[in-house]
Amino acid sequence: MDMTVYAVFFYIIAALIIVSAGMAITRKHMVHAVLYLVVSFLATALLFYLLGAPLLAVFQVIIYAGAIMVLFLFIVMMIRPAPAGERSLTAGRLAAAFGVCGIYVAAALVLAFMAAPEAGRPMAAAAASPFAFGFYLFDRHWLAVEMVSLLLLVALIGALHLGRAGRRNQSERKEPL
Amino acid sequence: MLFQPVPEISLYLAWTAAVVPLAAFGAILVFFRRLPKTAAAISVAAAAVSLICAVCLLVRHWNMDAPLQSAVTWMASGEFEIAVGVLLDPLSLVMLVIVASIAFLVQVYSLGYMAGDAGYGRYFGFMSLFSWAMFGLVLAPNIVQVFIFWELVGLSSYLLIGFWFEKFSATRAGKKAFIMTRAGDTLFFWGWLILLVWGGTLSILELNSGAHGLSSAMTTAAALLVFGGIMGKSAQFPLMTWLPDAMEGPTPVSALLHSATMVAAGVFLMARLFGFFSQSDLAMAAAMAVGTLSMLLSATMAMVSRDIKQVWAYSTISQLGFMIMALAAGGYAAGIFHLTTHAGFKALLFLCAGVLIHAHETNDMFELGRAGARRMKAAMVCMTAGALALAGIWPFSGFFSKEAVMGALAGADNRLWLFCGLAGVFLTAHYTFRLIFIILFPRTEAAGGPGARHGSVSANAVMYAVLGLLTVFTLAAGFFAQGFEDFIRIHGGHAQEGHLASLAHIASPVLAVAGIVAAWMQFGSNASDQVGFAEKIGPVGRLFARRWYLDHVYAWITGRLLDRGIAEGCRRFENKVIEGALTMITGGVVFFGRMAAGWQRAMIQPKLMAAFAVMFGLILILLVV
Amino acid sequence: MIVPYTHVMLLGAIVFLMGMICTLTRRNLMMIIVGLEIMLNAAAIVFVGAGLEFGQIEGQVMALFIVAVAAAEVSVGLAMVVCIYRQTQSLDPQCTEDSRCPAGTEKASEPASGP
Repeated sequence: MDMTVYAVFFYIIAALIIVSAGMAITRKHMVHAVLYLVVSFLATALLFYLLGAPLLAVFQVIIYAGAIMVLFLFIVMMIRPAPAGERSLTAGRLAAAFGVCGIYVAAALVLAFMAAPEAGRPMAAAAASPFAFGFYLFDRHWLAVEMVSLLLLVALIGALHLGRAGRRNQSERKEPL
Repeated sequence: MLFQPVPEISLYLAWTAAVVPLAAFGAILVFFRRLPKTAAAISVAAAAVSLICAVCLLVRHWNMDAPLQSAVTWMASGEFEIAVGVLLDPLSLVMLVIVASIAFLVQVYSLGYMAGDAGYGRYFGFMSLFSWAMFGLVLAPNIVQVFIFWELVGLSSYLLIGFWFEKFSATRAGKKAFIMTRAGDTLFFWGWLILLVWGGTLSILELNSGAHGLSSAMTTAAALLVFGGIMGKSAQFPLMTWLPDAMEGPTPVSALLHSATMVAAGVFLMARLFGFFSQSDLAMAAAMAVGTLSMLLSATMAMVSRDIKQVWAYSTISQLGFMIMALAAGGYAAGIFHLTTHAGFKALLFLCAGVLIHAHETNDMFELGRAGARRMKAAMVCMTAGALALAGIWPFSGFFSKEAVMGALAGADNRLWLFCGLAGVFLTAHYTFRLIFIILFPRTEAAGGPGARHGSVSANAVMYAVLGLLTVFTLAAGFFAQGFEDFIRIHGGHAQEGHLASLAHIASPVLAVAGIVAAWMQFGSNASDQVGFAEKIGPVGRLFARRWYLDHVYAWITGRLLDRGIAEGCRRFENKVIEGALTMITGGVVFFGRMAAGWQRAMIQPKLMAAFAVMFGLILILLVV
Repeated sequence: MIVPYTHVMLLGAIVFLMGMICTLTRRNLMMIIVGLEIMLNAAAIVFVGAGLEFGQIEGQVMALFIVAVAAAEVSVGLAMVVCIYRQTQSLDPQCTEDSRCPAGTEKASEPASGP
């Protein structure tokens, strides 16, 4: 099997994503978890670029690795939860969780075996130019774009409301002290 | 080929002239705001550099035979490119020299006039900003650059009119100027959007030569909309009342604003796009009508005003009306020549008024007369020279340019415009000398020398030097009329002299003299009661004094129509309909949300597990079976 | 030429599995959201990969919408976490459920603040 440079890059990036995601989900300290997650998302951005989505790669960096993760860090630093405060699950819960994961793995394996034989050939490299991407997005999916914008507005208002509600409750709760 | 590239040296000169004031503005506001002397020195030095560059450019290109233009791409979007650059043709060269020289003289004058003011440094910073905005506007080769600097001119004049922002009336005047010109600018904006979207070009030379893709109807629409911007900027009817209020700023600011920069920008734009406007007869006719109406209306307002600065402000509107009339009649050279001479004598008039006001601390011409303003001989001589030029008396510059304007009007199809113009000449001479005579021949006079009452800083030598220079210009400029016309006319239209031209040339100075004589009879001679004929007829006087109730109309439009009508309706609609509907919807949402929340309380992870298990289990079953 | 399509799918599956494990086993609301993010990311990877395989730009469009939805979800989710933390001084999902939280796990380590 001959490996092109692209393929080498792909495996390196894939390993990076998996390792950093694995580190992220196992950290006790949440700041570490979020930082590993940032690495994972940056690697995903590289992967997007490799798979022919340059604009999406940029968005991934700006929105995901940039904005969303910074929000995470803010929240983590704001509420400063104790790193060792997490209780371990009961054995029954743990078994159930891994049972569910087992179902998922079984489904994935079945899907892999049922895959068509030609799926094993390498994909042709291609890239969507930002212009083509943007044009397609606003040509075919303008309604979805509007709906997403509405969703973001609702999220904004919801977050605002929740933030105020939390503060109000806190002040009420503290009053009798 | 519409133009040739600008030679390198000229390009450097033009850029220097434009950019140095900006650098001065930045330096003053960032570093030297608290160091008034340094700030003033920097600003005046920058103005001097600009003036030298402008004069060099004019001398170098005195014999130019085609416009010179060079531009660099500023930003590009698709096929559309916005360029910034320099366009040098007779019009921009002349305007550049006017702006640079008036800005320089006014700043020198301000050294004395503004001495001791708390905002000395800030004042000179804004002055530099103003000069930079105007240079950018004058040199602009395309409409986008024109518009950007057009707005900057508006901004800097807002800053300067409201310079004494502790005074409520000053801030209000600044806001009024800003908002009323903004109304015109909105029209201008739509106009150039039409040019961009349907015409496909914003280059001034291409528009003027007709190399655009607009149908004749669209050309008319675009020209009318652009003229809307000119109306706002040049304070033409019906957007004229901001200019008299703009007197709240320091007097040198008024001088600059009225002669070379803010209001001149409107007429300049019309001259700049003269070729484009000529392509639409309707737009030219509309411009003619607006110019004539503003000219006559403001002349009548000037006849009854008691505030010396306001009289000059009305006369500015009136003279701008003359310029627009000349341009609309096809007299390209005449309009620009009047703009040039007007810049000189209007700056002179304002600066003289500044000296008087400075010494006696009143704007009222009767009080000035009583306080003995006539004993300030130098200022009064200069002011009379300016007034003679404004009235159009030989050998002052105003005579020659007014003759040129009348010649252009005589060539117009409709004789009405010519007769309106001649009436305007009479009124101009009348209200100008009303003011002069009232100050020169007060009925009662207070004792004491000039400025003795206050003992404040009286005008110093530098200020008088500026006045002297402007007086010399006012006396001399007229004799260069022929050379000026030959220079400016290289690519401009040729105004044909109509058969009424000779009549106009004779009638105009005769009417001017008649206006002065009428003023003498009512205000000058010992027998007169110093009450004008307009004031004797009560309703007419009130009409003129209240500015033809234009401000009341605006108040009605904004107050009654916009505020009570539309805004109130919208408010009702919002309160009753939208809020009612929203209350219903939110109530429903809250109700269903409470209901749904009841099913979802607690047990996050087990529920997630169940969801995953069901989902993947279903997939598994689907795949296997 | 890049790798076979199945390898991209496999990567997506593994990352998704990690996110799932995270959401199901960590007893920390914040980490549950982290797990959700990882799962959404896996979905985006799969969409982009499929878009390349089938020559459809649609896959990238879907990935873009995933990013947008994730942004909305995170903002509301984190606001809720903050809200819950203010009320219970705990991030344990069980503590928020009918206050069955055993005392002294999170509250003991809470920094001393207020009177």
